[in-house]
Amino acid sequence: MLGRIGRWIDERAHLSELWQSQMVDYKVPKNLTFPYAFGIMALVAFAIQVISGIFLTMYYQPNVHTAFDSANYTIMKEVPFMWLVRHVHAAGANFFLAVVYLHIFTGIYYNAYKKPRELTWIVGWVIYFVLLTTALTGYLLPWGQLSYWGMVVTAEIPTSIDSAPIIGKLKIGETISIWMKGGYEIGQITLGRFFGLHIWLLPLILLLLLSIHLYLVRAAGISNPEGIEIDKKKEGVPFHPYMTLKEGAYVMGYLAVFFFFVFFHMSHFLPADNYDPADPFKTPAHIAPEWYLLAYYTIFRSIPDKFLGFVAFNLTLVLLLLLPFLDFSPLKSARRRPLFLIMFIVFVISSMVLTVLGTMPPTPTNALLGLIFTATLFAFFLSLPIISLIEWGWYKARGGEKK
Amino acid sequence: MIKTVFFTGITLIFFYIIWIHNIFAHREKYEMPAQYAKIADDVKSYAKEGKQLFEQNCQACHSVRYDAVYISSVQANPKLQTLQEKYGKVLPRDVYEAVFYEDLMALKQSFGKVPPDLSTIYLVKGKEYLFNFTLEPQKVLPGTSMPAVMTGRPEETAKIIAYLKSVAEPSPEEKNKRMLMGVGTIAYLIVMGVLLWLWRGRILRKMGLH
Ligand code: HEC
Ligand code: HEM
Repeated sequence: MLGRIGRWIDERAHLSELWQSQMVDYKVPKNLTFPYAFGIMALVAFAIQVISGIFLTMYYQPNVHTAFDSANYTIMKEVPFMWLVRHVHAAGANFFLAVVYLHIFTGIYYNAYKKPRELTWIVGWVIYFVLLTTALTGYLLPWGQLSYWGMVVTAEIPTSIDSAPIIGKLKIGETISIWMKGGYEIGQITLGRFFGLHIWLLPLILLLLLSIHLYLVRAAGISNPEGIEIDKKKEGVPFHPYMTLKEGAYVMGYLAVFFFFVFFHMSHFLPADNYDPADPFKTPAHIAPEWYLLAYYTIFRSIPDKFLGFVAFNLTLVLLLLLPFLDFSPLKSARRRPLFLIMFIVFVISSMVLTVLGTMPPTPTNALLGLIFTATLFAFFLSLPIISLIEWGWYKARGGEKK
Repeated sequence: MIKTVFFTGITLIFFYIIWIHNIFAHREKYEMPAQYAKIADDVKSYAKEGKQLFEQNCQACHSVRYDAVYISSVQANPKLQTLQEKYGKVLPRDVYEAVFYEDLMALKQSFGKVPPDLSTIYLVKGKEYLFNFTLEPQKVLPGTSMPAVMTGRPEETAKIIAYLKSVAEPSPEEKNKRMLMGVGTIAYLIVMGVLLWLWRGRILRKMGLH
């Protein structure tokens, strides 16, 4: 019976043809490494956020008087299993960002941003940016002390534009800050706006961007760890079952780690200070952004001049976007580029150190360390054109070997 | 090979530091004698007694709304019951604060601020801080307007903490259930992962792709 229904549908929708052409006849390189699974894991993480988020919306109340209790009493204590949903959503946000970071670093390592994949990279960057905003707006919703004061500090950051020499007079920064908060203070209007953004506008934009991203990945074909474009007809393996089952097994492993945190280690995803209801008259002792923003935050606060700090951390984002154009070498993949590999390691270590520095108190030593690692971070981006020039030299000297 | 070990290694160290144990971040630490820590942790034996002690010593100023415990003057007010019939035992915060505005303001007049609700304080501060603060508020938070009501009564203080813990955290039975659920979920995922991997091996061998 079920089989007959299935056939009836298939005769009309041609689903099995679609499956055959898109999943089986679609060929991928055989030598894809483990890090290539981070993209799929990000997709899984997105699905988890959407599903858990829908359930949270049923009980959460976007109202400054009741938001905290709806999260910490109704959801955590009153409705059965909603604690699990909240744990999943909070841990899920952190895992999502972690996986996206790993995905980005993988893309950089294998130079997946290069021709013909520049557009994939650019759309990916926009996804990353929108994802950061989604996380930021979501963090305000439980209306705890960290939610509130974290946003106070974040909304202050644009005002550093106003300390610039000439454009400072225009008070652009203050305007942006007021626009972010929906007024002079963080209150009901802010919460309402953030709720709307967080639960439907930003996720919808993400969904759209993700579709474009995945389409572009398909259009260009998956890159190769060796940095050599393969002849798909001869060397490729069918996406299904070769990749689907392999990455399916990885995803199970990923979920196992994820649920370990969900059940046994939530103290970093639902931090203690956020169980204190928001109080505009009581500044908590430790205010720092979430870990995924800490590298930018360290760059911002290590530079003595506020305006320059602001420019520097935004420049990091812009340079990340421009990566395909900074790196114009004919060679691809760190496996074949020793100079690039060295600078990549510098880049990874600098990002990690900057993040960890963000969790530490702003002492003069830490500020100095912050400056040093900001410099090494920029050194990575600035070295790319130089490395590219050198590699063009090698490439020409060898008579432009087969790519 | 070396590269794989290196990148995996630093990634794991990085996430260990930011997600599990940050060896660089500085946090104030408070001490608590082991015998009292044991009492504070033993929700099953002491939470009930702790609640009574709370009512005697703290309820004049503090509520524990998530347990439907309101400040004494509110508790004595007949309006409370009417409201609870309408809204449920745990009143919405805006209703509570609006209807009993005068009671709360009277406390504010005496202490400079409304003493905080203690429903989630255990999760925010931890037992060590609560123990030290309640016994000697001035020493932990100089200039605070909270009086030292528990001086010389560490054991009873520990019992009050056990009560606060019982309100803030899931009950021991619930915790056990959650642990079983967690272990079950993780085991299921690992088994599925392994099975998927083995199945893939068989299919690929059949297809000659191994
Ligand atoms: C006479 C009124 C009064 C009584 C009785 C009282 N408190 Fe307090 N409590 C206060 C006030 C006022 C504050 C706010 C202090 C501040 O923030 O400076 C406070 C604050 C607190 C805090 C928060 C401390 C912090 O770091 O924010 C805790 C915890 C606390 N009280 C526990 C207790 C416990 C437990 C009892 C019963 C043993 C108790 N209190 C009895 C008035 C009282
Ligand atoms: C919501 C987050 C994201 C999801 C779900 C996602 C998903 C995917 C998936 C499934 C792939 C397939 C290839 C692979 O698995 O590596 C992919 C490829 C890619 N992604 Fe993403 N991605 C996300 C964010 C990003 C971001 C933030 C960037 C970069 C800034 C990015 C850059 C790329 C690039 C360059 C490729 C091509 C890689 C290749 O062909 O080898 N992605 N993405």
